[in-house]
Amino acid sequence: MIEARGLYDGVERDSCGFGLIARLDDTPTRAVVDAALVALARLAHRGAVGGDGRSGDGCGLLLRGIEPFVRALAREAGISLGRDPACGMVFLPRDADAGDEARALLREALQAQGLRVAGWRDVPLSLADCGPIAEGNRPRIVQVFTDVADATLVAAEDIERALFLARRDAEQRVAGSAGADAARAGFHVVTLSRHTLGYKAMVLPDDLPRFYPDLARADLRASAAVFHQRFSTNTAPAWERAQPFRLLAHNGEINTIQGNRHWALARGARWQTPRLDLELLQPMVSLDGSDSQSLDNMLEVLLRGGLDVLQAMRILVPPATAALEYRDPDLAAFYEYFGLSLDPWDGPAGLVLCDGAYAACALDRNGLRPARWLLTDDGLFVVASEAGVVDVAPEHVLARGKLGPGEMLAVDFAKGTLLQSTDIDAINASRAPFKRWLKQGITYLSTELIDPALAAEPFDAATLRRFQKRFQLSREERDSVLRVLAETEQEPTASMGDDTPLAVLSAQVRPLSDYFRQGFAQVTNPPIDPLRESLVMSLATQIGREGNVFALSPDNARQVMLNSPVLSQRKLRQLWALPQFADARAQLELYLHEGESLPAALDRLCAKAEAAVRDGAVLVLLTDRYPPSDDAVAVAALLATGAIHHHLVRAGLRCEANLLVETAAARDAHQIACLVGVGATAVYPFLAYQTLAALAGHGILADKPGHQAAEFGRSYRRGIKKGLLKILSKLGISTIGSYRGAGAFEIVGLAPEVVARCFPGLPSRVGGAGFAELEADARLLAARADDDGADLEAGGLLKALPGGERHLYDPVIVGALQRAVRSGDVADYQTYADAVDGRPASTLRDLLRLRVEPARAIALDDVEPAADILPRFDSAGMSLGALSPEAHEALATAMNRLGARSNSGEGGEDPARHGTERRSKIKQVASGRFGVTAGYLVNAEVLQIKMAQGAKPGEGGQLPGHKVDATIARLRHARPGIGLISPPPHHDIYSIEDLAQLIYDLKEVNPDALVSVKLVAHAGIGAVAAGVAKAYADLITISGYDGGTGASPVSSIRHAGGPWELGIAEVQQALRTQGLRGRVRLQVDGGLKTGLDVVKAAILGAESFGFGTAPMVALGCKYLRICHLNSCATGIATQLPALREAGFRGAPEMAMQFFRFVADDVRCWLARLGVAKLADLAGRLDLLEALPGETARQRGLDLAPLLGDGGAPASAPRACVEARNPPRDPGLLAARIAADTDDAITHGLPFEARYPLCNRDRSIGARLSGVIARKHGDAGLPADAPMVLRFDGVAGQSFGAWNVPGLALELTGEANDYVGKGMGGGRIVLRPPAGARQAAHEAPILGNTCLYGATGGELFAAGRAGERFAVRNSGATAVVEGVGDHGCEYMTGGQVVVLGRCGMNFGAGFTGGLAYVLDAERDFVDRYNADLVELVRITPEGMEHHRQHLRALVARHVAATGSLRGRAMLEDFRDVAGRFWLVKPKAASLESLAESLRAAA
Amino acid sequence: MSGPPLQFLELPRRLPRVLPAAVRITNWAEPYGEYAPEDGAAQAGRCLDCGNPYCQWGCPLHNAIPRWLDLHREGRLFEAAELAHATNPLPEICGRVCPQDRLCEGACTLETGFEAVTIGALERTLVDDAFRAGWRPDLSAVRSTGKRVAIIGAGPAGLSCADRLARAGIEAWVFDRHAQVGGLLSFGIPPFKLARAVIRTRRAVLEAMGVRFVLDTEVDAALFAKLRRDFDAVFVGTGAEKAVACDLPGHGLPGVHAAMELLLRNARRVWESEDAAPAAFGLPDLRGKRVRVLGGGDTAMDCVRTAVRLGAAEVACIVRRGEADMPGSRREVASAREEGVAFHFHCQPLAIEGATHVTGLRVFDAGAQAERVLDADVVIVAFGFRPSPPEWLTDAGIVVHAAGAAPGLHGRIRVDGERPQQTAAARVYAGGDNVRGADLVVNAVRDGRDAGDAIAAMLRAG
Repeated sequence: MIEARGLYDGVERDSCGFGLIARLDDTPTRAVVDAALVALARLAHRGAVGGDGRSGDGCGLLLRGIEPFVRALAREAGISLGRDPACGMVFLPRDADAGDEARALLREALQAQGLRVAGWRDVPLSLADCGPIAEGNRPRIVQVFTDVADATLVAAEDIERALFLARRDAEQRVAGSAGADAARAGFHVVTLSRHTLGYKAMVLPDDLPRFYPDLARADLRASAAVFHQRFSTNTAPAWERAQPFRLLAHNGEINTIQGNRHWALARGARWQTPRLDLELLQPMVSLDGSDSQSLDNMLEVLLRGGLDVLQAMRILVPPATAALEYRDPDLAAFYEYFGLSLDPWDGPAGLVLCDGAYAACALDRNGLRPARWLLTDDGLFVVASEAGVVDVAPEHVLARGKLGPGEMLAVDFAKGTLLQSTDIDAINASRAPFKRWLKQGITYLSTELIDPALAAEPFDAATLRRFQKRFQLSREERDSVLRVLAETEQEPTASMGDDTPLAVLSAQVRPLSDYFRQGFAQVTNPPIDPLRESLVMSLATQIGREGNVFALSPDNARQVMLNSPVLSQRKLRQLWALPQFADARAQLELYLHEGESLPAALDRLCAKAEAAVRDGAVLVLLTDRYPPSDDAVAVAALLATGAIHHHLVRAGLRCEANLLVETAAARDAHQIACLVGVGATAVYPFLAYQTLAALAGHGILADKPGHQAAEFGRSYRRGIKKGLLKILSKLGISTIGSYRGAGAFEIVGLAPEVVARCFPGLPSRVGGAGFAELEADARLLAARADDDGADLEAGGLLKALPGGERHLYDPVIVGALQRAVRSGDVADYQTYADAVDGRPASTLRDLLRLRVEPARAIALDDVEPAADILPRFDSAGMSLGALSPEAHEALATAMNRLGARSNSGEGGEDPARHGTERRSKIKQVASGRFGVTAGYLVNAEVLQIKMAQGAKPGEGGQLPGHKVDATIARLRHARPGIGLISPPPHHDIYSIEDLAQLIYDLKEVNPDALVSVKLVAHAGIGAVAAGVAKAYADLITISGYDGGTGASPVSSIRHAGGPWELGIAEVQQALRTQGLRGRVRLQVDGGLKTGLDVVKAAILGAESFGFGTAPMVALGCKYLRICHLNSCATGIATQLPALREAGFRGAPEMAMQFFRFVADDVRCWLARLGVAKLADLAGRLDLLEALPGETARQRGLDLAPLLGDGGAPASAPRACVEARNPPRDPGLLAARIAADTDDAITHGLPFEARYPLCNRDRSIGARLSGVIARKHGDAGLPADAPMVLRFDGVAGQSFGAWNVPGLALELTGEANDYVGKGMGGGRIVLRPPAGARQAAHEAPILGNTCLYGATGGELFAAGRAGERFAVRNSGATAVVEGVGDHGCEYMTGGQVVVLGRCGMNFGAGFTGGLAYVLDAERDFVDRYNADLVELVRITPEGMEHHRQHLRALVARHVAATGSLRGRAMLEDFRDVAGRFWLVKPKAASLESLAESLRAAA
Repeated sequence: MSGPPLQFLELPRRLPRVLPAAVRITNWAEPYGEYAPEDGAAQAGRCLDCGNPYCQWGCPLHNAIPRWLDLHREGRLFEAAELAHATNPLPEICGRVCPQDRLCEGACTLETGFEAVTIGALERTLVDDAFRAGWRPDLSAVRSTGKRVAIIGAGPAGLSCADRLARAGIEAWVFDRHAQVGGLLSFGIPPFKLARAVIRTRRAVLEAMGVRFVLDTEVDAALFAKLRRDFDAVFVGTGAEKAVACDLPGHGLPGVHAAMELLLRNARRVWESEDAAPAAFGLPDLRGKRVRVLGGGDTAMDCVRTAVRLGAAEVACIVRRGEADMPGSRREVASAREEGVAFHFHCQPLAIEGATHVTGLRVFDAGAQAERVLDADVVIVAFGFRPSPPEWLTDAGIVVHAAGAAPGLHGRIRVDGERPQQTAAARVYAGGDNVRGADLVVNAVRDGRDAGDAIAAMLRAG
């Protein structure tokens, strides 16, 4: 929908710290409340503070066992309570009338359920403890007391349901009431239950018990407390979104929320339970608000509908089940059975909840949120985001642990026991004979033989050509996409960026799918690695009428299962012929009738689909396979699918039927993803198969050895499946079920009428092509198809082909730019700039014209000099590795000489460049963390965290082995010739508060540097940017989709990410609205070419400008798009000496010339506009006007939202006004350590000291390492002046981050996440406290993602580590006593010894180094990832040096930590050694490992 | 798809074998050998397959060069030939006569720092091979429209136009005054650059596509009027044959010849027989003579090399500009040198000297800043050509740039109609040198091709 005021629509995402404290015996105590309040305060750093410095993003408690307290409150208020009393916490509108009205409506609703309203109490508040922003929107807060009037209402669950129904009824009454808007805005029932009472507010955690004096009352006792501290991306106070909700509190983000909400709507019509009338509850979940709120709604419906917590939680947020099948088939059947009725609500999610029967904590399948628990010997259970939030003496701790991915713990109050994950599994698996039901009910098509032919009835040449022309299958696509898929089972790889116009701006007809920009995860949730972590993903697709989640019945299992939504002809036909569908199928032809308009055809198709489903059709086939004539006009399958899907949802019929789409319009993964994303169940891309059949028939497809010709179809399908997994994974979505219908796209360029009709709910903010234009396109293509003389289109979307799609870096532009920088002649630059600025509209900014009024112009001399403009120019991050050293250094030199900044990219920097004019002032910190050492970080003015890259947001990268030469390997701490993987996510950023932590780490190690966060434009980036500003970033870069890359799949380059014009405008509006703009500097980056680009970006809100491709072109790059092949003939994107010598002709002066030209160009525009300084353009939206556009499609655009203020107050700053954005946490302990060590460092003396610490002391060691690195570089402390710091307690996150040689940190206690992140040397030791009762190897001592990106040093820990231990380790040595899932992922060097149990997926993406893993339970072979590593027994024969080495490492571990387990092993080493595996990369020989061991020794 | 990414590094650029100069000047055959199939494929595999295909942009026809190189590499000869024809009606001819060093190969990315792909040689080879292997344009799906178009001039523009019309189901009738098709290709370009057999093959191919040739026929006002009446459209591809006049003192002396006269007569002779006596075709006897050729374009190169083959004792080329600024193909200059031709750069001819016959040539040598006299027996003037549209054309309402127009425009037909290449007369199209002035063959091909497409579109639109 277009919103007149702007782009920022106030969506928000949140994350946080959370926890649960419960007494197993369910006895209410004051201690539980106190502990919860302390814990909340100790998680304050995980939350955020509003613009006023006082208002929090929200925190709260959900208390259980409160009946005595409730009765006490009622007594005081003079309210007499009868049987089964309940107290509801209610937010009312502050407006007295609206508040009274809402209250009256709630009363009516309660009475209607047979409940009596015994009285009301105004909750006492201390307004002094509430910040002004929060106070501004504070609701009136009251409690309602009820008891039971209806004599038939007896059972506890019936009373609870009555309270639930009363609340839902009240909400609907308020929404429907006369004063709807005012009332709805403020009315919110925090809790209304007999079991729990919630207190939540927009205050800081420390202030919560003061704000609510109730919480400080000694008579407030609870048997359990759920607590939550919120970090929202929105500072606009939203009291109702503070957590806990009525049942749960959530840390993380529900990635699948769009799909989940959507299907909740569809399933409301299908599900039935005798306990509830679901019709009345529609929509079952809130369709806006936060994701957590909707999840809470869903959980509530399931519980009130009859499920218990153990079942409801596990089916809403199930674990990954791929590995379960052989371990526990009954449990796997439980999940598979419920998976047929419900799609996962996938995280990142850490959930804590509490209801009448249970208190529980659960993690999603990826385990991306930390949850550490302990149980005391007096029956107190504590679980929270961090260890150390509740003080318990070690000797009282019975057990400690951390939840793993997909695990759940529950306190069963009835039995007074703690249920472990396995206990819960056992309860669930035995609920019904799921396995038998599935065996009887499910039909598998995937077990059939593979299709022997690509197409059973190949088209004749003329028919094929006609289809290809009608559906725009070009020669380019055939040869460069389809053929590659069939031959290599991969999407083609490409490089550089997408420099074609947006589809809506193009002069060509572009497929509808080109208007869809793929969504992706950044900051608030992480993408998944679909290759290395495929175990969590699934494309399994079911066909059949959906079941009813509330009925345990074999009927629910009558389904056909497909292993993916991509059908072959044979599968489609088999499906169509199944007896159960014989009378339950309908076929709809996707062609216009004679004289029919497109909207009329959609009406007809929707009506027909509805009628068919009402008639019992379960299979609805939408097909464009049977054109009625040679010149038939197709209805785009995407339009039809979206329209029909939504029509069926609205009619309550969607879950009765499946939409199968047989279409020529989908051939690649993006097109198929678009169809599934708008609602298709499965897709048969017949034209792809037909085209491949023709190629195979002509013998053109390359036969691999042993590759049967008939398998090309399967290869194609595999390639598509990988592509689909990638598209899901970049959003962080694991299963296709959660993706289907979720509409996880931003539409750019379709008119509101089209979006409303076919894709309701998808963001589409600037309008564009309407039905008339789309129909005209279809008619044009139909005519072309019918013209026998017309040839296949040549293509030109991938390459700049003359006559094909326009490319903004075509040879003409490249040539003009290169001529200009070589001649230095301003006339040559002008020729270039005129060609760029005068091109037909290709980007959104081309439709924004500067309002130049001659009367306003000033003299050029009155404009600030170029020297003041140049510092605003950065070069975009391009790594050494992607670029040759010559090109990389030329660019750095140029930027430094200009007084601007170059960006190192991800790949380290040669220390020889530190301090010279060849250094990069911006150092990038990307997900691979290559060469990110303390020395690297302190040699920077700006530290840029690359969250996403314009060319491929949501994806990792890979530097192919042939580009890893000796230099690159040295800088990246890797081995030459071995490919290097950058993971899709930063493994220390799964959520916004994690980003805040990394920013904190960076500011600790280099307090002088500004921290920058690079984001990619997409709808909703405003909210993300606000969160980033609240996470204390100093700079935010907004990249457009058109950024470059050294290597990416083609579909990522072409379809992910949005235009930066929308991004910067939205971010500007969001930051100003939230009072955050003054704290951060904004940069844009993406296809900037001339001064005009800079000026427009500045007006939209940018203060700084990133250039990637243009300076490369200036240095000689010819935009060949072959960077990924290492064959760059211009010597820029290659490491081959021959090419660098013969090809590279660049010099720093050329890049300097380019930037000077642009700066002068900017000055000329400023003079024309009458503005003296670039900075003065900030927010001068009056200087821009939207052009009407040149084509019908363009004329449908409405760019007004870009030029709006988003509702921000006029007084809000339009640019950054603060020098820095310092974190709120001053790091007192780190400061003390710095002061204590100052003398020793200055004078080169040894140093030892001991400090207590707690979980609020974060990044301990980082500041000191930074100081040392400044003085000594990565060499660290001199050998004669070591430092040993000893600590007692629970360390906060990032203990020992970027540790340097010579610095030893020894901790007695335990640590949280990210220990030894980026460690470059020195030593970290962790040992459990004296008096601990639990065996060390059974208890966690380290959190998640430790040693991430470490390049050296050693870590010994007498205890277990969490998930992703030693991820991307490239040099550290570590001994631990157990690891969670994904151990040693992406490791490229170093050594890891695991003396205990390993989680799943050990060694994924492991290309260097080695690990020794104890396999006590003999199941390690099922737990490691065999793609890249192999296991070798450490036999006495031939492996003697490994035995010696292992023994020595264990001995050092024992010496450092006093490990009992280690000591026992040494005593029994002969026997124990045989139970270890050596884990080594397949690519490395045993000999080479032995050699490196000797070298290390 | 492309070959191994680093083939251009591992395999140097290699042209097909060329006959040594001493051998090639003894006859009129093309001196270039052919690639063995695997060598051709390997050379094609040197292509980087750039995302910005500079060659394709550098080619006036925008030939899909990387794609047909790739097909060639894969051994998919017929598809390569088909794709070559998709943009170029005469690829085997362009492969021979285009100055690739200034066009596709000059634009080739590898030209900087490495060596360009041998695009011209590969284009020629792949089409020759395809023809030999029996490939012919596939017109089986073409439906006849029943329309007819007359084409005046069987030069590269006319032939290209005919090709496009035939593919559109339109009957093309090509009229030419010569007895053979080809125009400039047959009667201007010497046979050692473009073998007559190539033209014969192309004629056969076009005839098989249904193109009709009416040769030995001079179009005059009456015939033109009839053509306009009887045909649905007319394409005029009459070239630029009028030599730029030489007004040097002494230009009337015996022994002074116009370039076209020399080339045309020799071409006629070779069409008859390579062994036919020059005198029988009115050619001067150059045996043992000192021949001076004035001019630095491709025609001058054709003249010097023809003179060598006609037995001249000593041949020199007199060029006003420096070597780097010569308008012609560098490859031609190099070939001429190999064949013994001397070059005098920066020499401005002042007069042709001699009493009854040419004896010398007076020039101003800008290098030495002095006048000098070169001895000479024969002077051939190759100052270029201009279009000279016949009167029946202007009489019919077709607009020609007048004498007062910008320099170089005079005499050129204006094609500023609604459709590409359309003249002021609605159904008359024009292209090639008569529109452009003397220009490259490839540009004439482009005009003819575009005119053919435009006529087809016009006729389709009714």
